[in-house]
Formats: sequence, C-alpha cells, structure tokens
Amino acid sequence: MTEQNNFLECPVSNYYGDVPKGEIQAREIHKQPTPRVEKIRQLYFNTQSSASVEFPYWYTRRWEELEGEIPIVRRAEALKAAFEHSTPAIYPGEILVMGKAPFLRGSYPMPWLSEAFFMAQEGELYQAALDAGKVSADQVTTMGQGGGNVTESVGNVISIAGKFGLRKEEMPMLLDIAKKWYNKSVDDVGHKYEQMVPGYHEKEEIMRAVICMFDSGYTLPQGREVMNYYYPLQYGIEGIKNICDEKMKQTAGYPDMDRIYFYKAVYIILEGIQTWVKNYAEEARFMASLEQDASSKEEYLDIAERLDWLVAHTPRNFHDALQLVWIFHVAVLNEDAISGLSPGRLGQILYPYWKRDMDQGLLTNEKTLELLESMRMKFTEIDCFASMGVVGGVLSGNTFNNLCVGGLTKDGNSAANDLEMLIMESAMTCDTPQPTLSLLYDEKLPEDFLMKGVECTKIGTGYPAWVNNQVAMEFLLNNFKKEGMGLEEARAWSIGGCLETSAGSWMPLVVDGVTHYIPGGSAPATSVGVHFLSLPKILEAVLFDGLDKKTGRRVYPSHGLALNSYEEVWEAFKKYFDSTVEVLTLTNNIQHDVWGRISPSIINSMLKPDCLDTGRDISRKGSRYNRTFNVEICGGVNLVNSLASIKKNVFEDKSFTLDVLKEAIVANFGYAPAAETGAYSLSEQVKDSHYNDWLKIHKQCLDAPKYGNDDIYVDSLFREWQEYFSATCENYISLYGEPLYSCQISVSTHGPMGAVTLATADGRLDGTTFADGSVSAYPGSDKSGPYALFSSATCYNHSLSQNSQLNMKIHPSAIAGREGARKFLEMIKSYLRKGGFHIQFNVVDSRMLKDAQAHPDKYRGLMVRVAGFTQYWVELGKQIQDEVIARTEYSEI
Amino acid sequence: MNHIDCKYYLATDVFKGICKRTKESILADEPHCEDFEKAPKCRYCKHFTESDEFMGLCMNQTHAFPDMQASTCKTFSWN
Repeated sequence: MTEQNNFLECPVSNYYGDVPKGEIQAREIHKQPTPRVEKIRQLYFNTQSSASVEFPYWYTRRWEELEGEIPIVRRAEALKAAFEHSTPAIYPGEILVMGKAPFLRGSYPMPWLSEAFFMAQEGELYQAALDAGKVSADQVTTMGQGGGNVTESVGNVISIAGKFGLRKEEMPMLLDIAKKWYNKSVDDVGHKYEQMVPGYHEKEEIMRAVICMFDSGYTLPQGREVMNYYYPLQYGIEGIKNICDEKMKQTAGYPDMDRIYFYKAVYIILEGIQTWVKNYAEEARFMASLEQDASSKEEYLDIAERLDWLVAHTPRNFHDALQLVWIFHVAVLNEDAISGLSPGRLGQILYPYWKRDMDQGLLTNEKTLELLESMRMKFTEIDCFASMGVVGGVLSGNTFNNLCVGGLTKDGNSAANDLEMLIMESAMTCDTPQPTLSLLYDEKLPEDFLMKGVECTKIGTGYPAWVNNQVAMEFLLNNFKKEGMGLEEARAWSIGGCLETSAGSWMPLVVDGVTHYIPGGSAPATSVGVHFLSLPKILEAVLFDGLDKKTGRRVYPSHGLALNSYEEVWEAFKKYFDSTVEVLTLTNNIQHDVWGRISPSIINSMLKPDCLDTGRDISRKGSRYNRTFNVEICGGVNLVNSLASIKKNVFEDKSFTLDVLKEAIVANFGYAPAAETGAYSLSEQVKDSHYNDWLKIHKQCLDAPKYGNDDIYVDSLFREWQEYFSATCENYISLYGEPLYSCQISVSTHGPMGAVTLATADGRLDGTTFADGSVSAYPGSDKSGPYALFSSATCYNHSLSQNSQLNMKIHPSAIAGREGARKFLEMIKSYLRKGGFHIQFNVVDSRMLKDAQAHPDKYRGLMVRVAGFTQYWVELGKQIQDEVIARTEYSEI
Repeated sequence: MNHIDCKYYLATDVFKGICKRTKESILADEPHCEDFEKAPKCRYCKHFTESDEFMGLCMNQTHAFPDMQASTCKTFSWN
C-alpha cells in the first residue's frame, strides 16, 4: 500500500453554499445583562458543580427512624427533615433566592433511587451494577472537560461521575448512607422483581450492548414534564395545607384509604417547605446584619420579608409570584432525580400579576428584565446528580427546563403577550442555557412576536426552538381523547423537557377578583418507559444474527432468516425491535411501580391536577392525563440510510453481497475506529493499512441515496419506518394501563450510542456519532438545500409521534440584517406549514467551534444547540462537540 | 482552622466561597482571617461523639460526621 493522504478517501462536504472564507464571523447580535446579573453570571462561570451529602443524610436518618410507618408518610417525613435541615445560601446580588443545595451549582445523590453508580468503581456494588448492564453507558460516555465540571479529584475534593465535586470529609458518610439503601433502593428492589419478566436475560444483554441507554425507573423517574404552579399561586402554602386538612377529615375511615395517607404526606411536606423558606428568611436577615451598604441591606431585608410572607400567604405582586414559583420548582427538583422539569408557559401564568403591577406603576420593563435575568441564572444553576451515562451521555450536563411562549388561549386566540416579549429579550441579554425557550408557533401569533423570536434565534443561542402548535394539539387529541381531552384543553399544552409534547389544563387563577385561566401541566413525566433505543445497533444485530459483534456477546436469539432479500432484513429488524420494546416495557413497568411504592412523588403530585382532588399521587394515576409512557429512539436517519444502502447496493444493483458488506463493516471500511483516533465525526478519520481493499465499497455506501435530499427512494423507507414505529408502540401497555407512544429525540445519546456501534451500511464509521435529533440529516449528507431537507423531513405525519426534531446549522451571514431575518422567518414558517413539528438552529460559523475546541479558555460563554437543548460548549463531551462541528453548515437559505 | 470552618464562609462550590462580611472570594482550605468565628458543625456539638476522622455519632445512636453543617439543627448545642 502506498501512503496517500491520511484522511477520508471519500470526502463529505459539510457546507451547503459557499464555504466561508476570511475571518471567523461572529454572531450578529450580542447583548449584556444588567450589571447585577452580570456579576452573578461571572460568579457562575467561576463555579464548579458541587455535590452535598446534607439532604440525603437527613432524608435517610429520618427514614430509618420511621420503620413501619405507611411508606408515603414515611417518605414525606424524610423529605420534610431534609428540607428543614438544608443550609440556606444567599449569594450577593440575588433578588430571587433558594436552591437545591448549599452551593451555587449544588446537587446531591439520591441513594433511595440508586446507590451503586457513585460507589468506588472497584467496589462490590459497582461491579454488581456493571454485571447487570446498568452502567454500560457510563463506560462509553465522554464528559465535557471544561466549564464547571469537576473532572478529576483534587486536594480535598473527590470527583464523582466526572462532573460533581464532593468534599473528601463527606465521602465516608455518603458511602455509609449508600450502604443503608443497599437492597432497599428503587434500583435494587426493582431489579429483584424485574428478573421475573420472561426474557429478562435478553434485557441485561440489551443494556450491556447499549442498545438501550438507561432504565428510567431509578435514574430519572420524573421530569420531561410541565410544572403546574396553580395551587401555590391560588391558595398559598398555608391554603394548600388547609385543603389537605379538610380532605383528611372527609376521607378518614372511608374506603380508598390511600387518600388520607396522601393528604397527610402533602401536609407534612408543606410544613417542611415552610421551615425551609423560613430558614432562608433568617439567613437573609443575617446577611443584612453584616451589610454596610444601605441599599444591599435593604435588599436582604426585602428578601426576608418576602419569604416570611410567602410562608403563609398568596403572592401580592409579580416579584412575590416569581419567587413562589421558584420555591416550588426547586422543591420538586429536591424530591427526585429529575431532568426536564419545565416551567411551561410561565409568561402567561405570571401575566396577571405583571400587568397589574405595570398598570399601577409598581414595576417597569427594566425591573422586569432584571428579575427575568435573575430567574435565568437560577434555572441555569440547576444541576442534576446522576450517573455519567445519564448526565454526560444523555443530558450533556443540561437539565432541560423549557419555557414556552406563544400558542393559543383557552378560547383559541393568540396567547402571546408583552411579558413574553420581555422573556425573549431577557434570553438575549442574559444568554444562558436555562431556561431554554420554545415558541409554540401558530398562524394566529402576531408578526412582531414572531420577529422577536427570530431576533432571539439569530443571536445563536439555539433558542427559541420553533414548535408547531397545531401538530402538537393533534397528537394530544389523538392520545388523550380517551381520558377526556377536548380541543380547549389541548390548547393548554406545553413542552416538557427538551421536546416532549405534554398535556396541560387551564386553571382558574383569581387575581384581584378577576379569574384568569392559566395553563399548566396536568400529566406526570412524559418520557419514561423505553428510553433511547439505538436503531443502528439493532440493525447491526440483524446483520450478525443477534450478536453484538463488538463484544461477541449474544444479545438476541438467532432470527433464523437467511437475509436473502431486503424484505427479510426489514422483517428481522422489526422482530428484534419489537422484542426489545416488549422486554423493556415490562421491566420498566416494574421499576416504575416500585418507584411509586418506595419513593412516590408527593410535591409534584400535589401540584398536578387532579391529585389533590382525587387523593391519589401521580404513580396511582392521580393526574388528569396518564398516557405518558413512550419509546424513545436514536439514530433513525442512520438506520434508514443504511437500509437504503443495503436495498440498493446489495439487493438491487448487486454491487456486493451482504457477506462482503459485513466484512467491510467489521473492517470499518479500512479506517481506524473513533475510539483510537479520538475523533467522532466522519470528516476527521484516519486510514488503516487496508483501506484500499474497502475503498470502492465505502464509496458505494456513501453514494447510496441519503435522507434529507427530497429523494423518494430513501424517503419512502423513512416514511415506512415512521409509520411502523408509531403503530408498534401501541402494542405495548404501560404501568398505567395505557398504550405507549413514539418519541424521537436524540438529546446527546447519538454520541455514546454511536461509540459502541460498528460502521454502518450508509458509510458511517465505527464509533462515530449518529445523526442528531430525529429528522436532522446525517452531517454532510444533505446536499440539496433546506427546502429539500424540509420535504424529506415531512414525508410522514408528525402528529403520529410525541415529537420530531430537526436541527440545522446556519452561517450568520446567511440571515444577516432585517432582510435576512425576514427571509429566515419565512423559511421557518415554510417548514412548519408543511407539517414539521420542530426546528431549531445553531447560527454559528463552524470555524469558531473548531477554534473553541482548540482554545476552550477563550470561549467560556459560547453556547450551542445540541438536540433539544442549549449548552455551554466547554461543558460538552468531545463526541457531541465533533458532531456539532460536522453538521452541514448552510451559508445560503 | 480554615475559611470553610468559619460562620461567615458562604460556599459557592466545593473549592471556594465568599466571605459574608467582606464579599471577597476565598478558598475553602486556606487559613482563616482574624475575624474568624466557628461555624456550627457537628464536631462542636455536645451531642456528637467522634469515632474517627470522618465519622461519629449523634446522641450516641445515629451516624453523623464532624464537618456536617449544623446551623439548621434544632438540637445543636455548643460543646
């Protein structure tokens, strides 16, 4: 072999339009937060993710004291003790206060859910988790090496999961607590019972092969849902206690006794929350006592007064309402490991307070902006403590608190308002990852509102995502009609998590004697169930008759098909896919049932209609809508591109046989695997000595029809996959007795799932990432312009599924100026009018991302859109960084 | 004694914090200043018995650890 250039022989162009030249182009618009919030943001930039053992210590201590108590009451007492003992921390300049733990980016483990993963990796418990395939995803995840991640142990700080720092002096107590939960946690108890499921062995092999990313029951049992702030706003904490008191009197001794235990549990927890708030008020007074500056002293005293008021009363003004919303948001985050707890349509919820304050001259736009920026910092400070596979491989350190603007009112008019305009402005002046924004696009929304959304998207933060209101409503009516949802209620929906369509309800909030119908979530966690199935890895198992060819382990029984036709390949794929969904549905149902028994949601249940009315928590179907389990997939575009390549190259053109293709796949088409090169996109790979042997076949695979080019050959396969996927989910029944539905977002899973997958028949190489999202093209393969991509993406009915996800990267010059903004909006509208559910953008020069990868210290504040969320570049793992760089950059639209 | 042991220490993360009096950034494990006052921690509580460097007992029955913050503990009592 003669040594030629050392890069891909069949290069892919990652540009549509002219390749940018000259200086790296900065984003067009850059704004600054108010001085107060800028100081807090700089403090955040200099802060590391930190874990505390305080909350789990007091939880576990109280739990152990109450052996024999009714489980939900026992848990309420444990949570109450933990809230009451949380050390308050108020940071200089804050006007919204309270947090998860006594650090700016504080969080803590919840060993009652799972205790094994944070044990020492050489330890017995960790080994047991490894054997059961529970931590396989951890092994193949790359964690961001910069920003606030504590990637290694230093001095008196121990790194956990490559992200969280824990003080050395707290580690023995953490291990002590973890051991107390051994065989008692949701993970361990669930594991005992899930082994009763026929085919359980196959489930463990599926997890080991990272065909499935993680079990939801003990990792992130709640989240990907929309909060409902109605009860605290309408009744206040004391008012809800009074409701519980009354309900206990009505239900005590009557059948369906679970109700009295639920009300008692809610009452107990609210007492704990009241003490928690009072402790913060006390700390604010202490801070005031130390303060020399008169205005700062006054601010601390104002904080104390506000918190004292909210312990027992309903909000008096916008600032009170925002603080109360935040108290309950953090309270829910503290009861479970949660990602994607979305505030929902907060601008519409708080509008009555804001409008009144503005009308009475009590508030200005400038002060509102400062409060909204402060809120953005509080949301950005949220960290979720979970395993490396979950935090890095799925979440990329993000927590997906999605705030939605736009949509329709209860009676079908535009719901956009002036407070939402300020919410979008604050997202530009204080461009932080949280809360991310989604604009619920409807033809009834006013043009100036849409242009504000475009202005915000153009700054390059990746938000707002543009989401189709009508498609979401159609999905909801299809799925929740049986539970009583009508058109009016469908309008109350919002995005939970990064992109999960979530059912909502209109609640009658009375302010100054006037009733305002505010939207809020009325369903539990939407993304629980079968979480992230790697479609290319299942196809790999089909080609190798049930084996994980990477490890040699048998995952599935032999499919028994000779694979002599494309139809046989497709049949075998469906067979393996169905058996995967079946076993994982059953095991996840058990895990979630155990979660509901050992660790039920109490605070979130209390907030969700109609749990307080029925006396049932959300695990006992207390919510108004309960069809919320789903099947999430990853790598759909690589699956379909691979099927197209097999169909055309092997069975139609007979360019090579399936056996030869399999050899080429094992040989990685003559390139070094990504695990060796450390480069995870197709554009930067290194040849091995045999690449000439596979060059022709690799080119034929790369040249096969590709999704994203309005090519009916491959798009018809995509449509067939989509229709099968949504239909087959209906065959499996959740814990709540409802059919599952399809969900398709990649989040960050296309990184680690790609890492364990051999080369694929579409020409993708071993260990590189899959295409992101669900309808994004594979990087460099969309060569025909945005409108061809839109045609491919909308070749099926998007309302069949909970979501679809299209991410695009646009060079800032393509949409520059007012004219560019108009053109950009028209392009977005054209996609949504074709029936697309969601589109979001990275407006960035790819060369800036490459520079940021080489010089991360220069780019602490740089943010990019991944798949449903925005994250600081420096906190992303290399797998995802490489994939975002490789995405096709549109310099023309 | 270090900054982390002081009642005026406000932790921002596991490495560092802010002095509540001066608002200056300080490192958790650096020696304290002359305004130091002990923060309420289990190690200073009369109900706490130390069993080793990192562990002990509260009320002679429940595991606790010496560096646990105790500002919110109703039973904390200076030793």
